Amino acid sequence: MIALLVAQNTFREVVRDRVLMGLVIGGLVLLAVTRIASPLAMGEGLRLTVDLGLSSISWLGLLVVLTVGTALVSKEIDRRTIFNLLSRPLPRPFYLLGKWLGLTLALATVAAILGAALWLVVTLLGHANYAGSIAEAVLLATLELAVINSLAVMFSALSTPLLSALYTLGFFLGGQWCGDLRRFASHCPAELKIMLESAANVLPNLPLFNMRTLASAGELTSWTHLGLAGAYAALYCACVLSLAAAAFESRDFK
Amino acid sequence: MQEPTAVTPQNPGRQPLADGRSIAGRSGPGTDPAISIRGLSKRYRHPWTQKVTRGLEPLTLDVHRGEVFGYLGPNGAGKTTTLKILTGLLKPTGGTAMILGEPIERVSSRARIGFLPEQPYFYDSLNGVEYLEFVARLSGMGAHEATRAGRAWLAKVGLGERERQVLRKYSKGMLQRLGLAAAMVHEPQLLILDEPMSGLDPFGRRDVRDLILEQRQRGTTVLFSSHILPDVEALCDRVAILLEGRLERVATVGDLIEGTAPVVEVQVEGARVFEIPARLAAVVERADTGGSTALRLREPDRLQDLLAWLLSERIAVHGVTPVRPSLEQLFMAAAEHSAFQAQNERRPA
Repeated sequence: MIALLVAQNTFREVVRDRVLMGLVIGGLVLLAVTRIASPLAMGEGLRLTVDLGLSSISWLGLLVVLTVGTALVSKEIDRRTIFNLLSRPLPRPFYLLGKWLGLTLALATVAAILGAALWLVVTLLGHANYAGSIAEAVLLATLELAVINSLAVMFSALSTPLLSALYTLGFFLGGQWCGDLRRFASHCPAELKIMLESAANVLPNLPLFNMRTLASAGELTSWTHLGLAGAYAALYCACVLSLAAAAFESRDFK
Repeated sequence: MQEPTAVTPQNPGRQPLADGRSIAGRSGPGTDPAISIRGLSKRYRHPWTQKVTRGLEPLTLDVHRGEVFGYLGPNGAGKTTTLKILTGLLKPTGGTAMILGEPIERVSSRARIGFLPEQPYFYDSLNGVEYLEFVARLSGMGAHEATRAGRAWLAKVGLGERERQVLRKYSKGMLQRLGLAAAMVHEPQLLILDEPMSGLDPFGRRDVRDLILEQRQRGTTVLFSSHILPDVEALCDRVAILLEGRLERVATVGDLIEGTAPVVEVQVEGARVFEIPARLAAVVERADTGGSTALRLREPDRLQDLLAWLLSERIAVHGVTPVRPSLEQLFMAAAEHSAFQAQNERRPA
């Protein structure tokens, strides 16, 4: 319950931040640009609109995580607003959970707005049957952002905003290629293989959350995929936030 | 701020609350101390050089329920370190502490305390009511109760007309008032205030003094640090003097002052050239201020001798006043004594 109070406050703070509003507007502009550029897509205008529309959710969301998420806790420490919270009966793990939850809800709201705008454009083009695939893709993109956000919150609790942004970006890029890393590891000597496979296991498996290609063809994914992706995101976020909480618990606030 | 209290430092009456509730059990002699500190210490280790810095030497101290306790010391003495350990922001290196009977390691020990950090900062995008409602709910109040209390406290600290103004538009003094309201909005039994008068103009300082006195009247224990010693002298039942991380002294303000040697000040006609005779020079100190001259006599037994000499020299005496040293003078003397001792300890035998 107390984590929900922190989440509510974080959500309110992030939503009132002009950066978030700017990104929503940027996403809508990008969507409009895809429509203008669609005649150049040689009959693949719809596919281009859906693909770029869904990509904008992921990339703009990542931008929010890198600009807002990586400073979420460190900014509170630097500005000492955290003194007013942790001197109350608020356990530190719940504080971190609340910060993560608040920003994740804000990201989900942005994803929902951009997803709804994309669905509206596609429906106006006479393809209302894309609703299911767009909804699934937006859900998976939100799960992906929740995973990246958990890393940002962890790094933010332990490091400066700049370093947190670099670490988070590193994990994001590594996570995009973790499948390639596994394949590469299978061709390496035993010691290196163990190291690379361990790294691939630590990195988030982000391709699991990417169904843009399916959605741009108007196809649905399986319930098993959605269930697995949801369970994986929940487990990964829980592990990362637990690690963050363990390190944050002993931290001094001078 | 509204409704200033009529209670004075000289008459700190423990009266029932305005709404008729009793404050029995919140204060009074014979109960557990509000704060009990045993050997509490803090050392900082630099993460790269591993160099250890002393923040607080083992500290043992009790703050009784219902009293206003002043925590004094120069910058870097360990005041803020102690307050942050008590509020869970710093982890102690050694020792234990209990707040209202609960060890400070328990998060629940913070439910009944209100804390004002030094130069408090807040969320820019929230308004006053939203912020107070948020922190009141964190301290365990229900949603409606928190909103009601937030509005009431905002009005109480003189910010009632700025309920909907975002905090980025508040002045420094207004933020300090908001911080005080945040510390008190959930009606805590123990208030821990770090430099509450910092950044306030004389009117703001008076309002804070009134608030602290009002809290004392309600039976709330108040522990506060300050550099503004006249405020401490006016408000505190007891004070602790901390120097270089070590507790130097704990006493009532009265004991501190009465335990010192008395001084007699003789006011004479000003700016006249005269030479104090050798027999009195060692115990008399001359101070010229504007149009008057004061002779401070450190040994009152020699007053007859001094007056006889002044009469013989035809120097007009305007007044004779026994003077008690201010808390500021006592504090400075303690600091100098500590520095002298530290120098002696460092000197090789």
